[in-house]
Amino acid sequence: MDEGFCVNPVWPCAMTGACSILAGFSGLSVIIHGSSGCYYYPRSLLKVPLFSTYLLESEIVFGTVNRLKEVVTEVSKTNKPIAILNTCIPALTGEDLAGAFRDGTAIFVDAPGFAGNVEEGVKIAYDSLAIETNEMRDGVNIDGVSLLDLFWRGNLHEAERLLSTMGIPVVVRFAKDTYENLRNGAALHTISVNPSYPSGVGSMLGSFLFPDLKETLENLAKTFPESDIDPALDEWKRADEQMFYYSDKYLRKYEPPVVAVCSQESYAIFAKKMMERYFGSDVPVVLARNRDAKTISCVTDLTEITKKITSCNPDLILGSSFEAKAYPDAAFLGITPPDRSRVSISARPITGIEGGITFIEGVLNSLMDMTGQHGRQP
Amino acid sequence: MAGCTLTGALSVACFIPGAVTVVHAPRGCAHQTFSMLHAMMNDANTNITPEIMVSGLSDKDVIFGGERCLRQALDRAAEKNPDLIIVVTSCVPETIGDDCRAVCQEHAYAKHILYIPTSGFLGGSAKDGENAALIGLADLADPAEPIPGTVAIIGEKNLESEVEENFSEVTRLLDLLGLTVTVRFCRNTDIPTLKKLGTASCFILRDERSYDAGCELGKKFNRPIIPEFPRGLSGALTFLRETGEACGISSEKIESAVSEETAYQEDMLSKFSNLKGSSVFLGAELVKGTFAVAREAIKRIGMTESPGSAEVRLPFYLPVGISGTMKMLYLWRRKILHG
Repeated sequence: MDEGFCVNPVWPCAMTGACSILAGFSGLSVIIHGSSGCYYYPRSLLKVPLFSTYLLESEIVFGTVNRLKEVVTEVSKTNKPIAILNTCIPALTGEDLAGAFRDGTAIFVDAPGFAGNVEEGVKIAYDSLAIETNEMRDGVNIDGVSLLDLFWRGNLHEAERLLSTMGIPVVVRFAKDTYENLRNGAALHTISVNPSYPSGVGSMLGSFLFPDLKETLENLAKTFPESDIDPALDEWKRADEQMFYYSDKYLRKYEPPVVAVCSQESYAIFAKKMMERYFGSDVPVVLARNRDAKTISCVTDLTEITKKITSCNPDLILGSSFEAKAYPDAAFLGITPPDRSRVSISARPITGIEGGITFIEGVLNSLMDMTGQHGRQP
Repeated sequence: MAGCTLTGALSVACFIPGAVTVVHAPRGCAHQTFSMLHAMMNDANTNITPEIMVSGLSDKDVIFGGERCLRQALDRAAEKNPDLIIVVTSCVPETIGDDCRAVCQEHAYAKHILYIPTSGFLGGSAKDGENAALIGLADLADPAEPIPGTVAIIGEKNLESEVEENFSEVTRLLDLLGLTVTVRFCRNTDIPTLKKLGTASCFILRDERSYDAGCELGKKFNRPIIPEFPRGLSGALTFLRETGEACGISSEKIESAVSEETAYQEDMLSKFSNLKGSSVFLGAELVKGTFAVAREAIKRIGMTESPGSAEVRLPFYLPVGISGTMKMLYLWRRKILHG
């Protein structure tokens, strides 16, 4: 009955999701058509320049088109293309905002917060950008980069590094590229660093997350016969051996950790597979943030999440610091935002070969820190 | 940059143990504030997680009306048998015409429900939300006789990362006057304590943000109000005099406290004696009043101001007392000595 009811919701709204995509394309000015409150959150979260119409009550009563046109005119003086991101209230008042910009002055993105969560907003943003492929552009697109992702910079660097070792050019990075490059058209093929943020552009050759990487490399080799995937495969094998070496060392002293995982589906499945492969862990709780998750259930109510975590008494939580705070008795590694447990400035990956290693390294350090704190016995 | 009334109201309402907060809004609106509270709790090394229940208005509800969602959220909140259910709203129910007050009044738990009509940005800014929550919550307190030697703090900024440090500075000063804080309205204070608001002999406001609520509360309980926490160095001395007088402290005791504080300030400022003779250029004044605080510190230390000198950043908050001033001076010292 009360399917919308939620306690301490842990995942942002559709407008924030759409904003994370649009703001990823430098050279595109993003105007949030809404109040200062709707502007404030994505601005503080994404840490990129954004514009806003800062709507007031009087403008809602008398119509917001004039205010929006005023801001668009001002922003257009920079000679950059503009995207207008609509929010809840102007979406409710029935004004024809999209119609007011049919002349191509701006792209209108109708992603009010009540339309859903981040992923719904991401989809709306990509659909609104009407991205085309260009068969003249040789190479692959990197998909799944989102400014909301804790690992977006590291993932992007790692994917570019691996593609470079194979001799495959990168065409468009979704969504961290120049708007000009985006408009030149995307490549026909795409790989993803986080499949839970799909652009839907190009044929998908697979994910760069460590457990999927070998298959994706083989797909790349078939698609780009002149590429050389052998160095990457050798590197994968070495990394695999290294991770077994260190997890074996841990397992000589301790039992396999029981793990609870809460994040977007792609990272959750990645984390589960990694913990099972290297530690033989039992992973009784695997919950998704995204509503479109296909293989695990989505829960964004923190009290529900906490109940499930508590019921399995985990040794390790892989999720956000929401979960870590709610269940402080377990070791914790942040794999989904927010991660307030640590200062994180460097470009850490979770995808690719370095991402796999970084993940296992983080898990081991978190477990050992907790063991030290609690004096846990083997 | 600032949030809407919802964020402002929640930044007050979520710090009352024993109360449950219901937000009538889409989930995303509640997430924004919850996420900010989480960040601040981590900054403050606090393990308490406030519980925010959200009715979760969807795209269907905005068409067919959201009162049913609010009713169900109140049912879920009442199941927890809290001392108080605080209901705040975003701009969405206001726009679609939900009669939230009526839903609250008709609910079986109505006696323990406090409806604060915030209405997201349609109700104003975060500051308006904070004031609306403070005024609404003051209705819980009954008129009472003032207890000598007690004060209440009104409108602490719960989302301010140095909120406890500022409180410590104020209590240190109050201690010089022999005054005790009995109610922090509203920071980590339960309902029975909030109800004792009227027993405080004087209300100290955090700053001008809570001025509207402070005036309303001062009038309601017929109490003197001190308009803000002490600004910088001389502000601390003024604060001692004004608060002492408002609380009926003898002039001898007030002057003794002022002397003690002046000596303490000199002692603390001696840590920066190596800056004497240095010249600085003050950058932009992000918050009105910081120039005055900074210039006083420059003078007291024996520094000078000059356009071509090392540019030091002024804080984006008003430094509270000597403690806040020293935080500013540590940043200046880093800049002057290490570039």
